[in-house]
Amino acid sequence: MKVKTILSYVLSLILIPLVIVLGAVFFGKQSYPAISAIVAFLACVPFFLTFEREKNTRRVVLLAVMVALSVAGRFIFAPVQFFKPVSAIVILAGMYFGSQFGFLTGALSAVVSDFYFGQGPWTPFQMFSWGLIGLLAGVLSNSLIKSKILLILYGAFSGVLFSLIMDVWTVLSLDGGEFNIDRFIAAATTALPVIGIYVVSNIIFLLILSPLFGKKIDRIKDKYGV
Amino acid sequence: MIKILHPFVLFMFFFYVIFTAVFTFNPLFLLPALFGALLFLIKLDGAKTVKILIAYIIIFVFIALSNPLFSHNGATVLFFINDSRITFESLIYGICAAMMIVSMLVWFNCFNKVFDSEKIMYLLGRIFPKLALVFSMTLNFIPRMIKDFRSINNAQKSVKQSRVKRYIGSFSAVITRCMENSIITSDSMNARGYMLKGRTFFHRYRFTVTDAVYLCVFTALFVTSLLWKCEVIFYPVIQMNLTALNCVSVISYFFLAILPFVIEVKEALKWKLSLPKI
Repeated sequence: MKVKTILSYVLSLILIPLVIVLGAVFFGKQSYPAISAIVAFLACVPFFLTFEREKNTRRVVLLAVMVALSVAGRFIFAPVQFFKPVSAIVILAGMYFGSQFGFLTGALSAVVSDFYFGQGPWTPFQMFSWGLIGLLAGVLSNSLIKSKILLILYGAFSGVLFSLIMDVWTVLSLDGGEFNIDRFIAAATTALPVIGIYVVSNIIFLLILSPLFGKKIDRIKDKYGV
Repeated sequence: MIKILHPFVLFMFFFYVIFTAVFTFNPLFLLPALFGALLFLIKLDGAKTVKILIAYIIIFVFIALSNPLFSHNGATVLFFINDSRITFESLIYGICAAMMIVSMLVWFNCFNKVFDSEKIMYLLGRIFPKLALVFSMTLNFIPRMIKDFRSINNAQKSVKQSRVKRYIGSFSAVITRCMENSIITSDSMNARGYMLKGRTFFHRYRFTVTDAVYLCVFTALFVTSLLWKCEVIFYPVIQMNLTALNCVSVISYFFLAILPFVIEVKEALKWKLSLPKI
């Protein structure tokens, strides 16, 4: 088992540069969007592999609950346009359960919500960007739990980060691999109002849910002695 | 029906067909890719396709026309807009990019129609068994959570408060309920020996001879179409040198892309012909 996990780590570490080099050498720049999608997916693989060694059943079930919450939230808040709790739930998962857990919640939320809204070449990018948001929230968890201002800033930052990564992909694929900076700026400016709503909804959800979440976890710890 | 093929064979097919279309970026490959995908989608979806076809056309036109506006490479100038050159080459490049993206979108749409979550879980479960479990649990939780939310939200309606506040409050109640349930679920799983060694999991797929034949055919067509692929140079002037081997590659890709449609039509005909005998 151990040899297998080490081998798979090495594979994913060598595979990523290999895909980039092969793609750049043998195929033209038209293939860059596809290559970047493959790389974004491969970047998630080490996290998936680590999760396979998880010994605690509670964390396995909890991950399913968090992913389900973020996707169900998309449906529940569907009447309020652009008001989606996905990023907020991912950030909370990272804050309270660690960075690995946050990454997995983000990446899996992207895949599962695309079961409903359609898989596509954008899925790996959503996986990667939401995963990154959860990961960073886990890294900063102590200061995020303590300081409200930092939490607001992080909510805003994650909204912008998600939109910008998705815009990079849009521009890359529209131009067939050429990264046109004018076009990126055009895409980003047209997306500004949407980014604004993302940021505001992230902050509102985080401010309301974060203290509640802490209480809920304390309560579960008392009740079940986790 | 192509749906009854083994998930692995189906997955490889979609991988082959999308990979080749994206990585050759050649109109001779992109045309059959688009054509085959559209035929397949129409066969799968019937009359429902019309709505999405309009969306695809809009995306196509948008991408094809926006490239010459942003990129001014190319030798053949068609006309000028505000002192910037609109060239023939960049228009063709835009059309190719549009074909690539739209064919990719259509193939992914077909993929969503053919691959249900059970198939994806089966493929995933081979490499990541725990992740596959998380997937299937998640897909079970989502409708239950939405139902829970509805009933809590309905009960809360009698309390006077703003809609947003009520929504968030009910959502928070759903969170509490699910997290507590998760502890009970996991204890129950442990009690039934979830973490023990030697577990197997149920699936209903079997790799048959038909699957093997199809896999061989798909792979052979994929290899020949990649082996002798031909490059197109767009700037400054469009150039493409075709040899006999390149033609073989183009034809084999054409067959690869059209094959799912052919299989579907063949099976439908078989069914129609055998109906009088029943």
